[in-house]
Amino acid sequence: METDLLIIGAGAAGLSAAVGAWEAGCRDILIADRRAHLGGVLEQCIHTGFHGDLTGPEYAALLSCSLRDTGVSLQLETEVLSVSQSREAVLSSRKGLERVTFSQMILASGCRERPLGALDITGARPAGVYTAGEAQEMMNLRNEDPGENILILGSGDLGMIVARRCFLRGKRVIAVLEQAETYTGMAKNYHRCMETHAIPLRAGCTVTELHGEGRLRGVTVRELDSGSEEFIPCDTLLLATGLIPEQTLVSHLGNPPWLHLAGNCNRVHDLADSAAAEGRSIGLEIGKK
Amino acid sequence: MKRYDAIVIGGGLLGCFTARNLRRWDLSTAVLEAREDVCTGISRANTAVVYPGYDHKPGTLKAALTVSANRDFDVLCRELDVPFSRCGSLMAACGPKGEAVLRRKFRNGQENGVPDLQLLGRDELLALEPELTPDVTLGLYAPTAGTVNPWALGIAAMENAAQNGAALDRNAPVTSITEDSGGYIVETENETFSCRAIVNCAGLRSVAVQELCYPSPVQLRITAGDYLVLDSLTSHSPKHIVQFEPEQGKGLTAVPTVEGNLLLGPSERPGVDFGTTRDGLDFVRSLTRQVLPQVDLNDTIRTFAALRPNPERPDGSSIRSFVIDRPAERFWSFLGVKTPGMTCADALGLHVARELAGALQVNKNPAFQPVRNGIVQARNLDFEARRRLIAETPEHGEVVCCCEDVTLAEIHAAIKAGATTVDGVKRRVGATMGRCQGSRCRLKIEALLREEAGHGN
Repeated sequence: METDLLIIGAGAAGLSAAVGAWEAGCRDILIADRRAHLGGVLEQCIHTGFHGDLTGPEYAALLSCSLRDTGVSLQLETEVLSVSQSREAVLSSRKGLERVTFSQMILASGCRERPLGALDITGARPAGVYTAGEAQEMMNLRNEDPGENILILGSGDLGMIVARRCFLRGKRVIAVLEQAETYTGMAKNYHRCMETHAIPLRAGCTVTELHGEGRLRGVTVRELDSGSEEFIPCDTLLLATGLIPEQTLVSHLGNPPWLHLAGNCNRVHDLADSAAAEGRSIGLEIGKK
Repeated sequence: MKRYDAIVIGGGLLGCFTARNLRRWDLSTAVLEAREDVCTGISRANTAVVYPGYDHKPGTLKAALTVSANRDFDVLCRELDVPFSRCGSLMAACGPKGEAVLRRKFRNGQENGVPDLQLLGRDELLALEPELTPDVTLGLYAPTAGTVNPWALGIAAMENAAQNGAALDRNAPVTSITEDSGGYIVETENETFSCRAIVNCAGLRSVAVQELCYPSPVQLRITAGDYLVLDSLTSHSPKHIVQFEPEQGKGLTAVPTVEGNLLLGPSERPGVDFGTTRDGLDFVRSLTRQVLPQVDLNDTIRTFAALRPNPERPDGSSIRSFVIDRPAERFWSFLGVKTPGMTCADALGLHVARELAGALQVNKNPAFQPVRNGIVQARNLDFEARRRLIAETPEHGEVVCCCEDVTLAEIHAAIKAGATTVDGVKRRVGATMGRCQGSRCRLKIEALLREEAGHGN
């Protein structure tokens, strides 16, 4: 199969890139995404604040609508296995394996979360440690609880939003821990998520060690200034310690002129709107060619 | 009460390979594993090296077994369908003490019959492995050294044993052993077995298990070691196994694993559980910076600790050889087998199985089938083969673990093969081992495990 423009990822950036490229005149566009629905990670972001005050799924629906009147092709539940220097991608789905050759490609694959193993946290590896995004998926898509007594490491937007979500599900959020001197997400989120629900922020500290066999029993928290350490009992630790642009698929390619990165795989954006705007402008530019 | 000719206590590498080899004879065999899965104790974590055989004194069982096991490792891994990388090892020294160690190992290796060993000067060494620090002065090159995934190997051996009729009981910690009319009664928490002979492969608990029935000639001192695992995309990973022999203190091993990651470690310290320590990890990091200065430790995706049993005589002196005790005519104990236990696991299993078959005077099992077929993994196939696989089994088209390219069909196969936890799935098909460490697929795998468990009920 051939296409002018292959877009990998149907999140905010990928969908916006497709619409932009279509508007600019490109008539042969294919989007591939591993999920079953359009919108990428927006699906699990059920809080408001997207594109004004929409929820993530609402914003995903809005972006999907703008695609409706275009002739952009979609391949959902499709994994892109590889992309080669000769402009050929291999796509896998239950329908089969196929090669797609393309003229231009936009990678809009979002980001991944920094896992526990990448953090300087020692000790046991008990159950009850999740990334913030995993916790969001559990609560918002699977109706599961990550735990009862929850500590959150990292006070970026994701950490604070997940803290509120745990609180609203009736869980005890012991604190949000932050290495920096204060929260690192947006002030709006601090007020809405933390202050409103009286969730404590503990700045200037970090988790150094996990304890527990089977299930997490508690963590050692170190004050970075004084170096003093304290054991905090908890059954759940959520890691909101950073997002890494997901560029694995193209890491071997260098910087060929046909490859364009849009959204969080390019750099981590604070707002989905900003990722969408970047996608759209790249789409508009490429679509003209 | 279930009756077997032989009961193997412990389903680590040694237990799995002992069971496999017992089935070469006409011996009904069961493995009793205390935990939820095989290879979850000592075997769940080690340096993953298949040693060439120059580390041990000429004339010892360890030296002879290691050299012959290394020679046979390609055949073993082909039989068991386990990936094996014979990448070769480079032992490097930066000063006179290290050089003396290398020269001694070189002489040992030559006497032991290790093929193609070479001492390399600085320039030759750096030409072969440019990632090494330019401070190196001498290298010992062993092209026959290799690496294998310890769980993959142990699980394959157990599956092969099972396909040849061996039974496996999990969650079955042995609580008592008593002599009974020439054989034994073995009790676990839930069941009682009778058998004609016992092979104790209980690893960390091997002395405790022997002491359920007999005194032990040795005690185990348990030590721990910390390791780092780096992303498969990390640059400046060495192409060979690198073993650094420092001027003082403990060295470092760096292994380019069969999965494509870089494994660094271990530290050595007291410890009785699998928790990592800061000092241990810092030790590994600091030696890595010294030996492989270009390696970017920010690419670390996982840290873990391993446990090692160190057999000691009652006076506290350490024992270097494999301890295979036979406190009674029909009772064998592997007491504190450590490095190179993985390299020699099949050979050690065969050694004891042969003695046991002799003691019970049984015949060879003519139906023994040494070949085991592992789970087909789409990622190992070329385009056409993978396309055909998906056409036959559409669930191979759906990738669940995107970092390691593991499909839904493979997860199902892992569960069918006995995985009851995400870790069990990881050990069978590699899901969650990649750079996101399962943050994008663990929940899905947990749901699949629950679904399968539901079907079973």
